[in-house]
Amino acid sequence: MTQSAPLPAPARRAWGPVIVVIGLLLILGWLVFSGVGNALTYYQTPTELAARGEAGVGQSVRLGGLVLPGSVSGPPTDLTFVLTDGTTEVTVHSTVAPTSSFREGAGAVVEGTLGEDGVFEATEVLTKHDEVYVAPSGFELP
Amino acid sequence: MAATIGHAAVVIGLAVSLFAAAASVLAGRSGDPLLATVGRRSVYIAWGLSLAACAAMVSALLGHDFSVLYVARNNATTTPPFYSFISLWAALEGSILFWTFLLTGWSSLLLYRYRRDHAALMPWATATLALVAAFFFAVMTWPSDPFVTVTPVTAEGNGPNALLQNHPFMGLHPPLLYVGYTGLALPFALTVAGLVTRRFDAAWLRVIRRWTLGPWIFLTAGITAGAWWSYEVLGWGGYWAWDPVENAALLPWLTATAFIHSAIVAERGRSLRTWTAILVVTTFVLTLLGTFLTRSGVIESVHSFTQSAIGAWFLGGVLIALVSGTALIVWRLPDLAGSGAPPPLVSRESAFLLNNLLFSGLAFAVLFGTLYPLVAEALGGDRVSVGAPWFDRVSAPFFAALLFLLGVGPALPWGEVSWPALRDRFVLPAIVGVAAIVGGVVLGVGGAASLLTLGLAGFSGAILVGEVARAVRGRARASGEGPLRATWGVATRNRRRYGGYLAHVGVLVAAVAVAVSATQAVDATAVLAPGESAHVADYTVTHRDLVREPLASDPRVFETRAELDVAGPQGGSVSPALRDYPNSVVPIATPSVLTSATEDLYLTLLAYDTASDTVTLRLFVNPLVVWIWIGGAIVVIGAAFAIWPGRRTDTVVADPVVADA
Repeated sequence: MTQSAPLPAPARRAWGPVIVVIGLLLILGWLVFSGVGNALTYYQTPTELAARGEAGVGQSVRLGGLVLPGSVSGPPTDLTFVLTDGTTEVTVHSTVAPTSSFREGAGAVVEGTLGEDGVFEATEVLTKHDEVYVAPSGFELP
Repeated sequence: MAATIGHAAVVIGLAVSLFAAAASVLAGRSGDPLLATVGRRSVYIAWGLSLAACAAMVSALLGHDFSVLYVARNNATTTPPFYSFISLWAALEGSILFWTFLLTGWSSLLLYRYRRDHAALMPWATATLALVAAFFFAVMTWPSDPFVTVTPVTAEGNGPNALLQNHPFMGLHPPLLYVGYTGLALPFALTVAGLVTRRFDAAWLRVIRRWTLGPWIFLTAGITAGAWWSYEVLGWGGYWAWDPVENAALLPWLTATAFIHSAIVAERGRSLRTWTAILVVTTFVLTLLGTFLTRSGVIESVHSFTQSAIGAWFLGGVLIALVSGTALIVWRLPDLAGSGAPPPLVSRESAFLLNNLLFSGLAFAVLFGTLYPLVAEALGGDRVSVGAPWFDRVSAPFFAALLFLLGVGPALPWGEVSWPALRDRFVLPAIVGVAAIVGGVVLGVGGAASLLTLGLAGFSGAILVGEVARAVRGRARASGEGPLRATWGVATRNRRRYGGYLAHVGVLVAAVAVAVSATQAVDATAVLAPGESAHVADYTVTHRDLVREPLASDPRVFETRAELDVAGPQGGSVSPALRDYPNSVVPIATPSVLTSATEDLYLTLLAYDTASDTVTLRLFVNPLVVWIWIGGAIVVIGAAFAIWPGRRTDTVVADPVVADA
């Protein structure tokens, strides 16, 4: 009688950690998988963005293209310019000053969202860091 | 000449490594001490050969020998000697060469240290390390040969990556990270040896844990120094962007940290043995995966994978390590099986278990976020990236829970605990935690996340201080020593425990700094003509002059700098700049940072107009950032203190398996 009394205790105790572990795994899964869709940034060209139509509005996009010559206007902190891929043009507005590498006719990557009015509101004007830049003349690599 | 020597060293290195592996496997099977010695010494020779190859490359770089393609691509006649030297690890082929040198160096250190010990186990560790070395020598022999020569020899090279020669810190964090990364092959090799010989027991786990902590210290220092470099050099005002390159270093750090903790439980009894072995294998696989991700170009685009054979090689290496490690663990499952009975819910065992769940869960989440864009592009074709906000949101709960555990865990006793004992230990720290939150509110710290961090840090910090104070008071009373002597006595008597506590304190310091700097930073953008001023927080920044001139140290580099006068809590003259390198289309930012104990004033020159001398500046006031680096340094010091060889070794807990035998 007295020997059998302590037995139930460890058996009951065994479930506590198991429940805690399962609970934590569920929380982990929810944290990881929920909302990853919203956290994605799409790399797109102006043509690809335009092809999405209404679906592209409000989505976080990284847009790459050339700055259309003659399209840049406004001070660096209230800048408007047109980004083009040769086929489609998108008007971009940015309150974030771009770096010196930003110039007309050069490539630029902007991150932000397309507004209802069709103007792309940039939260970041990025410069692409070329890992290796090979001088155009006098040095030929195999 | 250098190319011939280097190439010969690499090819002989491959042959010697394969020979070392074969001799060591035979030694492991037969127990022949002569073969074991041959295998071990062959690894020393492989180290010598990789050293010779590194020396050949360094001499080619310093001598601007453009007949070597790597030198032509990464060096120029005007490159200063320091940057020529560190160009050894500036690009793919050189970094793999440097990597091989460090790997065989670590291997030689381990094998020399145990040349008279663990005779049954060491041949298997030698064989594993020799095979890993052979893999890297093979990579250098075929897909990524650092000594490819080029004809005709050009008079001038391309110069190092502009970003990498812009700051001497580039000489600091890559070697630290590589030393950490390569060192994590040691616990893998020791685990393989333990599993093959069926001696994955408490004594062996202590050996594995020590040789994990060494590399872990370098990895921790490397991650901290890398964040520092990113902050001081890149000019975006932050230090951590959840970039794949950063995640590649963080992933093995997370699983190695989990292992360091689970090994403490595993060496006390039979529980968690399988799990601990899995963590070691995972950590090693993650170091290879990290190299694959950062070096194959696969991060840029999945399609770049096919452009170079290096990606396929590393993917093959990852798969071989993963499959063989898993097979070995499955093969030895009967030996590793635990005792079955789970620990009481509130106990130190449970705290360790939860710690491991959190670290491996976090590692899984980070891995998921890092690989998601690759999988998405490979399957659907959409080019996507997972943004930093996702990583912040997912990781924050893990970090909060870990901050809580980091104080609670060490204060909980092993096994059952009574509620009055819990009350005694945790009521006062809980009050300190609440006081820290109130103090934060009074000081004007806003944001739920930073206040929660303050509270958790106060709570856990108070527990750790209380634990040390209790031990010191006991010793001082017993021995009559003064408080300082008693503290030193307590700490050196159990280095592992108190080194661990110090590392925990470092994490608390860094965590508070990260949370406060992330939520309390102020930033502004200003366009200033000469004589105009901008205001940010309590600072006034006045634009004095725009100067454009070549760098004195390298006249090919053209610097444009804004000379500014700063008035406020910190004052003086600073000059953030943009530097134009001949081999970079993009000018390289060179920010100015004024640092104090409470905040940094961080200034970046974004753009300038030479006609009007107008400058566009980004101004940040980042609170407490310096404490992130100090916290990292405390963690490193604590861990180093823990593994420093003491006069008296820690108490060895008898292993039931050994005791039975």
